[in-house]
Amino acid sequence: MKIVAVTACPTGIAHTYMAAEQLEKTAKSLGHQIKVETQGAMGIENELSSAEIRDAEFAIFAVDIDVEQRERFAGKRIVQVAVQDAIKNPKAVFEKLRA
Amino acid sequence: MVHEHRFACPLPNGLHARPASLISELATSFGSDIRLINERTGSSANAKSVLEIVALDVKLGDPCRTTVAGDDANAAQSRLADFIEHEMPGCDEALPEIAPRSEVVLPRTLRRCSARWYPGTVVCPGIARGAVVVVGGVRLPTEIASDAEDAHAEERKLRGAIERVRSSLREKLKTAPSAVESAILRAHVAIAGDVGFAEKALASVAAGASAGRAIVEAAQYFAERMKSAESAYVRERAVDIEDIALQFLESIYGDCVRALDVVLAEAAIVVAENLSPRQLLAFDRRFLKGIVIEHAGVTSHAVILARSFDIPTLTGVADVRARLAAGTQAVVDANLGFVVAEVTPEVDRYHRRELAKGSRRRERLARHAHARASTLDGRALEVAANVSTAQELAPAFERGADAIGLFRTEMLFMDRPAAPSEDEQFEIYSAALRAARGRPVILRTFDIGGDKPVPYLNLPEERNPFLGLRGVRVYRSHQDVFDAQLRAIVRASAFGPVWIMLPMVSSLDEVRWVKSRLAEVRAELDRAKIAHDLALRIGVMIEVPSVAFQIDQFASEVDFFSIGTNDLAQYFLAVDREGESVAELYRTRHPSFLRFLVKIVEDAKRHGKWIGMCGEMTRSPRNLPLLIALGLDEISTAAPEIAALKASIARMSAAQCDELLRAATACRSADEVEALVASFRGRGETQALLDPECVAIEVDSSSKEEAIRDLVDTFFVAGRTDEPELVEDAIWAREAVYSTGLGHGFAIPHCKTDAISANSIGVARLARPIEWGSNDGEPVRCVILLAMRASDKDDAHMRVFSKLARKLMHDEFRERLLAATDCAALASGLAEELGLSADVVR
Repeated sequence: MKIVAVTACPTGIAHTYMAAEQLEKTAKSLGHQIKVETQGAMGIENELSSAEIRDAEFAIFAVDIDVEQRERFAGKRIVQVAVQDAIKNPKAVFEKLRA
Repeated sequence: MVHEHRFACPLPNGLHARPASLISELATSFGSDIRLINERTGSSANAKSVLEIVALDVKLGDPCRTTVAGDDANAAQSRLADFIEHEMPGCDEALPEIAPRSEVVLPRTLRRCSARWYPGTVVCPGIARGAVVVVGGVRLPTEIASDAEDAHAEERKLRGAIERVRSSLREKLKTAPSAVESAILRAHVAIAGDVGFAEKALASVAAGASAGRAIVEAAQYFAERMKSAESAYVRERAVDIEDIALQFLESIYGDCVRALDVVLAEAAIVVAENLSPRQLLAFDRRFLKGIVIEHAGVTSHAVILARSFDIPTLTGVADVRARLAAGTQAVVDANLGFVVAEVTPEVDRYHRRELAKGSRRRERLARHAHARASTLDGRALEVAANVSTAQELAPAFERGADAIGLFRTEMLFMDRPAAPSEDEQFEIYSAALRAARGRPVILRTFDIGGDKPVPYLNLPEERNPFLGLRGVRVYRSHQDVFDAQLRAIVRASAFGPVWIMLPMVSSLDEVRWVKSRLAEVRAELDRAKIAHDLALRIGVMIEVPSVAFQIDQFASEVDFFSIGTNDLAQYFLAVDREGESVAELYRTRHPSFLRFLVKIVEDAKRHGKWIGMCGEMTRSPRNLPLLIALGLDEISTAAPEIAALKASIARMSAAQCDELLRAATACRSADEVEALVASFRGRGETQALLDPECVAIEVDSSSKEEAIRDLVDTFFVAGRTDEPELVEDAIWAREAVYSTGLGHGFAIPHCKTDAISANSIGVARLARPIEWGSNDGEPVRCVILLAMRASDKDDAHMRVFSKLARKLMHDEFRERLLAATDCAALASGLAEELGLSADVVR
């Protein structure tokens, strides 16, 4: 499965990146292909292209704040969770995709 | 016939001082004998005496009775009954409380304990613990004038004292600055004129006691009754009676009965309404650990002295004499600004941890203390000490002073009946110069007048003493006193370099006159073949704005300048620096004042003159970049600040300081300058992100609050923040969103704040796991703190932070951190994982 994701936390120092790491790690173990964009203190990194978004089946938002440039995901199937959830139990986040 | 009226006390707080004084006022307006009886206790009072009424300890609901007998008994009876029924129930309003200063917040580690604490204003930082010793106004002398003259003479003394004290209290009442003080003063006027007290004392005198003995006995009689009262309010009033009695005694016997003989025998926290410099100097400083004062300006002499001695001191702690019980232990935190009245185990732990942190910080700063300070790009700035006595010089040099930038000689002239002799002064100045061992000492000739009156100079009372006769303006009319000082200084100059500095100069004539006196003194000494230094320098303190516009002309008359910021700012801004109502307007970081300073220093430099700065402005680390940018040769400050200032200078870039000053002088308001200065970074080079000094294992934190504080304190000790409380606040603000406990025994608290001076990583591996509110409910064993500056965009550092965050998601990384056997291994392991090279780690 091809998945895109965005992580963003209040200060953008730690949890944004911890969540990104968890999603990448878990996707790999589940055999998914994922690209995670971080919206942290350094701004947008690992930015998702419109083609990548278009080709993905799902978008995961692991965010505690608003996603920047959310319009890029218009019409996409989006699963949104708190950053904490992605860090604590990333597998459960992916299970939501099947539901 | 005797009229009676019965009633039950309707007042929730009982018959306290306020209703009692109203009853006594009313009773006094009648000739009849009026008594008030508390039927619960059976005791009876003269209703004309506030003290006797209050001593009845009448509480809500107590059955009471008044009796009235005499010529105007009918009128008195009906007026009294009317008052009791209709007016008294409405007079229970408590005195207005002085609102606690909102910015003082108890540290999180103390919030859970129930100890009583009171906020105050920090005037000398530090933390101290000791037994409370209440000074001034509350210790009645036990040995007092027991040999009486004849009863008539003693009665005259007694009545005279009461009259003098009452009228002096009424005088004070006229100028009382606040409603609270007025209320207290009015209560004191009433006590001083209380018929019950006078009757009691007069009876003792008639029985053969001296006036002094009679006053002490009467005060003890009433104070004891109040101390045993059930109401705390009444108990606290005992202090007032003793205070008034002391004032009576002083009025008769002079200052010899004052509580000057307080002997400190163990670690003590001295608590006082106010202290005179003389009182402060009389304490045994081995035991004087902390000072808490109710009223005293930041620039009062007792406070200035306390700072020079580095005694943690708080002022503006309302009503503290009544709130801290003598003999009990208390902790003064003059870093955050509060005093704790009981030392619970939590308070004790807090005190010990803070002490340890303070000494770690001092130890680290000491590395800088004895080097000459210069910025990273090589701009030197001398850091000197301000002192008031010769004894302070040696400790000031130990603390790293390069010189003495201000020796306030007026302290030698105060609190004494006559001016010190030339020889006495010579001894003191030469002792100071010997202690300086060749380092320059700037002796400021006596600055008396204004707020520092001295009776033997007979200076007139002035409407506005700060604009009147003071400093150099006094010298012409007291040439004998001035000449004696000049001769003493010039003679002492044989022992080391002396710079004479003149206070309150506003015109060239004043300098020329002093120079002519100096020439004459030198000629006399030459004739008498007395040694003195021919290179002695003379300079002016710039504190009157008029000097600033004649620097070129002054430069041809003097050798140096030193800017006295306290008075210069108050005269420049037309703001009384101690005036509470205009405190907001007294801003030395005012753009106009900064421009003024720029002009002064530029002009002095253009004419090749040495220029320094003494005064409050040198104390705040926030001002330091501005002072560096001004291009001063020296700053002179309280000795305890020196090491920290030198360490800060060594970390700054003069070029960046210059930029800050340029921007600050372009600001439109002091608030804008404030914001600019607060976000100033000033580091010439990037400080290492990860410093092994901020990595520790076996850390003894017992709670989340302590762990965060411990980590922030390592930043503070390492000189990465001067405002650890702000860093803590920022971390807790983030923590409030959701816990940073990420599970697996790790927590990663973090913040973005400009209170940190360099992006920083701190690691604490804990001796005992603590609760953190983690994801997985597990307690935390390892805490990693990330602090990032809010106004910088340092992507390199941010990338390290994000890398660290990602790595924490991996078991192997966490295990490696938990397995490291010592701090060095932990720090180098972390550096390696994060790809920080050895030189980044340092």
